[in-house]
Amino acid sequence: MTATTLTFVTGKGGTGKSAVAAAIAIDRARSGLTVLAIDMGGNPGLGTHLRGTSLSYDPIETRPGLWAMSMDRATALDEYLKLQLHVPQGAPTRQIAGALSVLADTAPGVREIISIGKPIYEVWRGRWDAIVVDAPSLGQFQSYLRAPATIRELVPTGNVRRQADDLATTLADPDVTSVTLVTTPAELPVRETIEALAVLEQEALCPPPRVAVNRALEASGLDRGDVARLPANSSVRAAAELQVAMEADQATWSERIPHDVALPFMRGVLTPEEVASRLADAIGGHT
Amino acid sequence: MTATIVVTGAGGVGKTTLSAAIAATFAGAGRRTLVLTIDPAKRLADALGVDSLGDEPSPMPNVDHLEGAMLDVSASWEAIIHRYADPEVGDRLLVNPYFRAIADRFPAAQAYAAGERMAEYIESRSYDVIVVDTPPSGGGIDFFRAPATTGDLVSGKLLKWLTGSRLPGRSLLYRFTAKPMLRIADTILGGPMLSDVADFLLDLRTMYDALTTRSKTIERYLRDAATVIATTADPTPLHETHRFFRELTDIAIDPVAIVFNRALPGEWIDDADRPLRGIDDAALRASAKENLRAWASEARRQADAMVELSSRYGTPLVTVPLASPPPETVEDLRGLVRDSGIFDLIGT
Repeated sequence: MTATTLTFVTGKGGTGKSAVAAAIAIDRARSGLTVLAIDMGGNPGLGTHLRGTSLSYDPIETRPGLWAMSMDRATALDEYLKLQLHVPQGAPTRQIAGALSVLADTAPGVREIISIGKPIYEVWRGRWDAIVVDAPSLGQFQSYLRAPATIRELVPTGNVRRQADDLATTLADPDVTSVTLVTTPAELPVRETIEALAVLEQEALCPPPRVAVNRALEASGLDRGDVARLPANSSVRAAAELQVAMEADQATWSERIPHDVALPFMRGVLTPEEVASRLADAIGGHT
Repeated sequence: MTATIVVTGAGGVGKTTLSAAIAATFAGAGRRTLVLTIDPAKRLADALGVDSLGDEPSPMPNVDHLEGAMLDVSASWEAIIHRYADPEVGDRLLVNPYFRAIADRFPAAQAYAAGERMAEYIESRSYDVIVVDTPPSGGGIDFFRAPATTGDLVSGKLLKWLTGSRLPGRSLLYRFTAKPMLRIADTILGGPMLSDVADFLLDLRTMYDALTTRSKTIERYLRDAATVIATTADPTPLHETHRFFRELTDIAIDPVAIVFNRALPGEWIDDADRPLRGIDDAALRASAKENLRAWASEARRQADAMVELSSRYGTPLVTVPLASPPPETVEDLRGLVRDSGIFDLIGT
């Protein structure tokens, strides 16, 4: 499977999307690419998985070839004005920035195109081989995708409108953009992912997403018969019962969702950085 | 007097199931109970005996004394407009594209609407107990902040920025938005965006007094509520729990409990190191032992997280066991929280 330049990783809250985003970025960097990982959600996940601490707007190199940054709306707004709207020389930049930040708090779509504009801008700039985005959860990600269309409804002309049109084109281009939906093999995440897949495919604002099933238990080889042969009321039996029940429950849910890759449930005392590295082992070029 | 229980925590920690389990237990004790929820899983809805929940409370067929309602954000905001705006302004707002977008997407809007609904049902005096499952954005912290954030939106803070220091009437506003600097801004942004937004904010401002008074009332109910923080051992839920204590000291009173969900038995940690007796089949012995060791390692991780939480904040920590498969009946739901000790802490 060839890697696209820009990969958005999204999913329902609690499915481990930040860990998977970190792992995809690590996997890309291992193959020799120069990678930028962007945390767009404002949660600490990506930073803890890549370097055990928080990130800043200026990219830092967390592992060889793997740079990471987090979104900061004020700085992104500034950059958006200077580099993307091409505000002319001599224009009252400070006032326009103020106007835009009021708009971003109020007008639909503006906040979103400033945020999603950053990774796309990094694509246009061509400095990185691959960009991996730890995107917000499913619902919010969908309103990011819809933002250019919202702008189109509200703004008839002008630089904002033009920039929004360019964003939409890049987002929908399968040679540039890919989307990975992270789910776990459980009812709610699977149901929400199936619903999101239907909506995303129908709206066609991005290429058809890939699906990663995260936290899939590796087969223990135990079955119900084995459980019955273990000593009653013992911890070893209770743990075997849990394992057999969870394997069965997970199987029902992962069967219902076609997926490109299954990632292991990592039990135990691992640091977030170790979790990301082990997930990257499992990905091994598969997303 | 209605007792209110607010269940908060990061997405994916099982808030909705815990809320339903707590509500079903109160209802089982004969208390008239309402659960306000977000989006229950099919299996949970089946357990309660409903196909789907509506915006208005309806009885849960499988549980006496329990009603449930699911929050529809757009419907809630329409109700808020009808209640607080003049009819003429209200009609204008409801068709305004900015209003529609705010009602659906303003991060605090869903949270504010949830708080408004909670207040409405507290004041209806129809229930002994109301259990609120908080919206997932911001780990539930937005829910507590929403009254203040919404106040900022309608207070004219943005409007003042657009117009200079004082709040203008409509005519003054138009004169102002004709100023050269805003005309340049409009040209670059495209279209009359700024004046449209200013128009919208002017309408919204007419609801200011009513909405700020209301926000204060909602904040008071939130301070009186028993707050329960749900978490697991994963980094994001733990981070949200820490944030709750760091950032919400002014709005929420001390939470009554931290509920550590999907907990494994602590004794597995030591038992994993003990020799296994009474199993003749060597292959079974090896795989069963390996399995216990893997789960014990997870139990160890949970124990570390629990020590960190309870030693740092002094809030009682209770555990709810990992259930597989998830609860399928009302009895399963009640069983989930029965031994947790959470009801002694809620104390209503």
